[in-house]
Amino acid sequence: MSHILAIFTAVFSAALQGSEADPSEHWAFRPPTISGSFFASSQRSPAESPVAGQPAFRGRNPIDAILDGRRRAKSLAPNPPASKPIWLRRVYLDLIGLPPTLAEIRAFEADHSARARETVVERLLARPQHGERWARHFMDIWRYCDWWGLGDQLRYSQKHIWHWRDWIVESLNTDKGYDQMVVEQLAGDELAPGNMDTLRATGFLARNYYLFNRTTWLDDVVEHTTKAFLGLTLNCAKCHDHKYDPIAQTDYYAWRAIFEPYHARLDELPGETDLERNGIPRVYDLHLDRPTYLQIKGDPENPDKSKPIAPGVPYVLAFARLQIQPINLPAQAHQPGLQPWVISNHLDAANKGIITARQTVENARRSLAEAESPAKLTAATNHSSESGIALSNQESQPEPDSEKGSGDSQEQDRVSALERARSALDAAEKALTAAELRPSLVRAVMDADIERYAHVSATNDSLEKTGVAVETESKFRLAEAEANLAKAQSDRLIADSKKIADAEKKLKSATEALEKVRKESSSPATNYTSLRASSKALEGPDETEANRVKSYPATSTGRRLALARWIVDRQNPLTARVLVNHVWTRHFNQPLVPSLTDFGLRSPAPEHQDLLDWLAVDFMEHGWSLKRLHRHMLLSETYAMSSSNTGVHDPENQFYSRMTTQRLDAQALRDSLLYLAGALDFQAGGPTVDPQKDDIGMRRSLYFKQSPEDLHKFLETFDNADPKECYRRAETLLPQQALALANSKLTSVAAAKLTQRLTRSPEPASDEIFIRTAFETILGEKPERSEYDACAESLRQLLEAARDLQAPQPEFRARTGLVQALLNHNDFITIR
Amino acid sequence: MNHNMPRSFSSIHPGLSTLTRRGFLARAGLGFGSLALGTMLARDGLGFDGGWRPPTGMPHGSPQAKSVIWIFLRGGLSHMESFDPKPALNQYEGKTFDETPFEGINDPEKRKRVRVVVVNDANGQQRNKIYPLQIGFQPGGRSGIEISDWFPHLRASADDLAVIRSMWTTDDNHGAQVQFHTGRHMLDVQEPSIGAWVNYGLGTLNENLPQFINMGPRFFDKRDGRYLGPAFDAVPLKIDPREPLAYASPEGDLSAKEQAIQFDLAGKLNRLRASEHPADQALEARIKSYELAFRMQMAVPEVVNFDRESEETKRLYGLDADTTKPFGMQLLAARRFVERGVRFIQIQHGEGAAGAWDAHSGLKANHSKLSQQVDKPTAGLLGDLKRRGLLEQTIVVFATEFGRTPGSQGSDGRDHHPYGFSIWMAGGGIRGGIAHGATDELGFHAVENAHYVTDVHATLLQQLGLDSHRLELPDRKRLEADHGNVIHEILA
Repeated sequence: MSHILAIFTAVFSAALQGSEADPSEHWAFRPPTISGSFFASSQRSPAESPVAGQPAFRGRNPIDAILDGRRRAKSLAPNPPASKPIWLRRVYLDLIGLPPTLAEIRAFEADHSARARETVVERLLARPQHGERWARHFMDIWRYCDWWGLGDQLRYSQKHIWHWRDWIVESLNTDKGYDQMVVEQLAGDELAPGNMDTLRATGFLARNYYLFNRTTWLDDVVEHTTKAFLGLTLNCAKCHDHKYDPIAQTDYYAWRAIFEPYHARLDELPGETDLERNGIPRVYDLHLDRPTYLQIKGDPENPDKSKPIAPGVPYVLAFARLQIQPINLPAQAHQPGLQPWVISNHLDAANKGIITARQTVENARRSLAEAESPAKLTAATNHSSESGIALSNQESQPEPDSEKGSGDSQEQDRVSALERARSALDAAEKALTAAELRPSLVRAVMDADIERYAHVSATNDSLEKTGVAVETESKFRLAEAEANLAKAQSDRLIADSKKIADAEKKLKSATEALEKVRKESSSPATNYTSLRASSKALEGPDETEANRVKSYPATSTGRRLALARWIVDRQNPLTARVLVNHVWTRHFNQPLVPSLTDFGLRSPAPEHQDLLDWLAVDFMEHGWSLKRLHRHMLLSETYAMSSSNTGVHDPENQFYSRMTTQRLDAQALRDSLLYLAGALDFQAGGPTVDPQKDDIGMRRSLYFKQSPEDLHKFLETFDNADPKECYRRAETLLPQQALALANSKLTSVAAAKLTQRLTRSPEPASDEIFIRTAFETILGEKPERSEYDACAESLRQLLEAARDLQAPQPEFRARTGLVQALLNHNDFITIR
Repeated sequence: MNHNMPRSFSSIHPGLSTLTRRGFLARAGLGFGSLALGTMLARDGLGFDGGWRPPTGMPHGSPQAKSVIWIFLRGGLSHMESFDPKPALNQYEGKTFDETPFEGINDPEKRKRVRVVVVNDANGQQRNKIYPLQIGFQPGGRSGIEISDWFPHLRASADDLAVIRSMWTTDDNHGAQVQFHTGRHMLDVQEPSIGAWVNYGLGTLNENLPQFINMGPRFFDKRDGRYLGPAFDAVPLKIDPREPLAYASPEGDLSAKEQAIQFDLAGKLNRLRASEHPADQALEARIKSYELAFRMQMAVPEVVNFDRESEETKRLYGLDADTTKPFGMQLLAARRFVERGVRFIQIQHGEGAAGAWDAHSGLKANHSKLSQQVDKPTAGLLGDLKRRGLLEQTIVVFATEFGRTPGSQGSDGRDHHPYGFSIWMAGGGIRGGIAHGATDELGFHAVENAHYVTDVHATLLQQLGLDSHRLELPDRKRLEADHGNVIHEILA
């Protein structure tokens, strides 16, 4: 035992010695610069900035210039370039998540111009599928999660959070600057308070909503805003000072204080008044003055109330302080009912209500007429009428042991059926009266609202319009209460023995409600109910409705906007580096900085820091353009290298002497299968698709609902992102994955469809043509002789097996079998 | 402990920092794969550039056992209330350690054994107010090993058990689950787990089944193989005869013959590509994984179908009671896997992120309930293996990541306790009926024959005929602490 202790002790104390240096000198805490080392190698002076025109690299891609230098110094020979088809497949899968078609392969092979690669990259960056592919990467990093709860109770995230996903896709496709994306996600409501398109971005924060525990909610926000944007593990400073980085426990709460005021709500969109069906989940500042306290040892039950903690950022990153300016919101931001589409939304809904009410009256009249005709007795008593008057068999049929003549009881039934029908008509007519009042109510309320928020203090005009709204509302409430009572009476008449108690209760409360409304209408009211057009997320399971419908604050603290601008400040040493590292990792399948979410003191300066820094500086100086960053990487010779590892003496590939292969991620795999089959539906955006009902759904995989409660079995088998945290996909390799590719409905359907396509197009194909086309379509390369022979032999065997089974269409069946085997090829699931 | 503890051994151990599994394999060739592939690679000149060779599947020494059933109670079983009775806890109930006559509890040298992972965390603290035993003890078997009343069935099997009462580990949070399997805490450098090493070191006895299986809720990290590669990750199975594996049977009316042709073609084509990518670990693993997948889908459903087991056997594992059935089914499946030559079956017990045994409060209710789930099935497994003659060649390990504090947490719980705790091993050349090592009078420190967790690994490997040093990869030198020391005293 003692020797083990000795080893552990030695190891620990060795670590202590390195920790004395000034933490602010840590490489990642100093801003990236384009400096020293590679100017020397290119014999240019720093004055000739490589950023402007890149003279320092003599026209070479800086990635290649830097890495070539490294490799030369280590006497490492880089791999030759991959074949054209391999490069093409790589770039297609990386940029749009789908493989190239045969025609696209041919076209690229035929393009011998110097700009052939560039042409491809540009075309792919312009395709709408590019945004979808990269949105999924960012959905991993930004923790996309659809709502879940218990039954109807929403517990986590927000409904319709897919609007945020669509914002990500669109932002990437239009190459919105990453800096702008960060700002809109953290503070879109403060930046552009009336712009619904921008507000979608705040789904990033709305997604963290958690019904039961505000601290859990904000803990997630603190942890993941710092990990995602800054590569800092601020979460390690929740209970005590950070053990490695210069981050105090107070820094944790200062960061929390930035988010302390914010809350989530759903606002109406044009065309829909029912927020359960659609709406924008967004954030806003609700508790403007709520203090933040340090929680002693991270215990929410034990806050240190002696001093509230002000919003702020860790001192080691104090290149700038937060510039917090409170923001006055325009009226439609805190009174969403004033949004121009709300009136037409509600008028449309009110007019639809009238049509429905009229229909109900018609139906009730018809039922009454039927009840009044004795011949229709049986029908009237035994069938539910269209107006919803259900006559239960139990009540209408004679008692089985009754000795009385049936005449009496039939007469009784007739009377009670008549009574019910009359009552139903009464209810329908009163409902129509109320419905017909609603459009005028909507107009009156809207007029009054507009007038009210247009002026600081009340004007004669506004007082008059308020009066009209109050009066109209009073009328409407009365009509509504009368309609409700009539409905309760009607319901009471048709209630069976099981429902009668409930119906009595409802009748009683409807009667009381009407009395109350009558009393209120006799004494003039002074206010009316505004059109809210918004639903505030519950602040806990017990929040009252009265609290929930309070007006939203007319100002916002500006804290989040200040933070967002600080994060994307050109002086911030972390933001651009962290992002560049994420993008690099996804193209090269090995990060420049291994710990993607921790650039703190435990993360030593990376081997290729100059490369990281060059990319980061160039990124910031060119509008934080992601498409430019993709171009740099994908058009480099480093990216174009073969992934073969014969004769390469860089075993860890530390110097990028070859390409590192990667497995297709879950979404790219499923999408590629469907795409090859010609079955992928390219419809972009919109509500989520249910993963349970969509075993062989045709939409792209990023559109599936995804939450801990909604998992897609096939995607999960291939290491789908965990919506709680996924900064990098795992790449497991399990036999179950082979079974999924061999046995799932998805692959068998895709194989059949692809076989159909390949058999027919352009004309009936011979076996040889079929094999060659199938091979190249699925794997992106022509078969070698030996590969062709193996396929031909298997096809022959499959045909024989199909004939032995006396299966219909044995040729087609055999070809489908071949396609299915090719879909199980390592190089289909791999980006070579 | 101090503030600047390293998270990663690799950051300070240059020999470990830069090399990954790829490096080794590129130079050393394959650790697995079919003969054809191996031959092909050798022909291509890749391979062996020195004395080291990858394992051939032949044991290094003379094996005493063929298989391991590894039972792990997630969350931390109280050693004092299971296999290491401490009546002094009753005697000094409510006292602090200093108020007892026993010395050395607060000995700073002994306390150094453990590093505190999170300073001032709500959990993982030493508790200084002695909490009495929540359950009684009795001697079991002829050996008279004392085992608590929460484990009456295992107590009846006491003569088969080698109880080790002097385990210790270095870390005080549930990352210690990873540590018990790999020898390193999850915050340190990542080593393969013991199941992966066994899988790596030994050839397969059954080509139709995975050699390393996991059942039950996994701890945090699923990549058991680490730098050995994904082929050495445990294959997760569940005991549901209808669907023991997802996608266990083909869609539609595909015949077995047709599917065999398809798998065969995919395998052939992948091998043809392997010449271009000789050290592509993923390709190698995928070839193997496809071959295994094809055979597995045939073989696994049969193994987890218990129709042919007698009612008496099912009762032995507790399949007739709801409490014991879920765990009993896993153990019965484990026996059937052992019969079919599977090397390492890992069964994790206890749901939840930390593991269900983590009784920070309500220890009595927690442990009395959970022990009922495992006690009878585990004793049933031992008895069943024994009567079938399988216990001689199968080592059963019954372990947990750490014990629980002698002091109370809150009014009725115990905290994490890495300084001293108990596990047991049985079968496969292990001596039964002994209690080895000891903690002090209060169950605090392992004071006699203390064993770090890797000593269990060393003992297993020795019994399986493997030498941990010879399995080691040339570019992945491990610390002596990682190899551990064989616990000779418990060997027959």
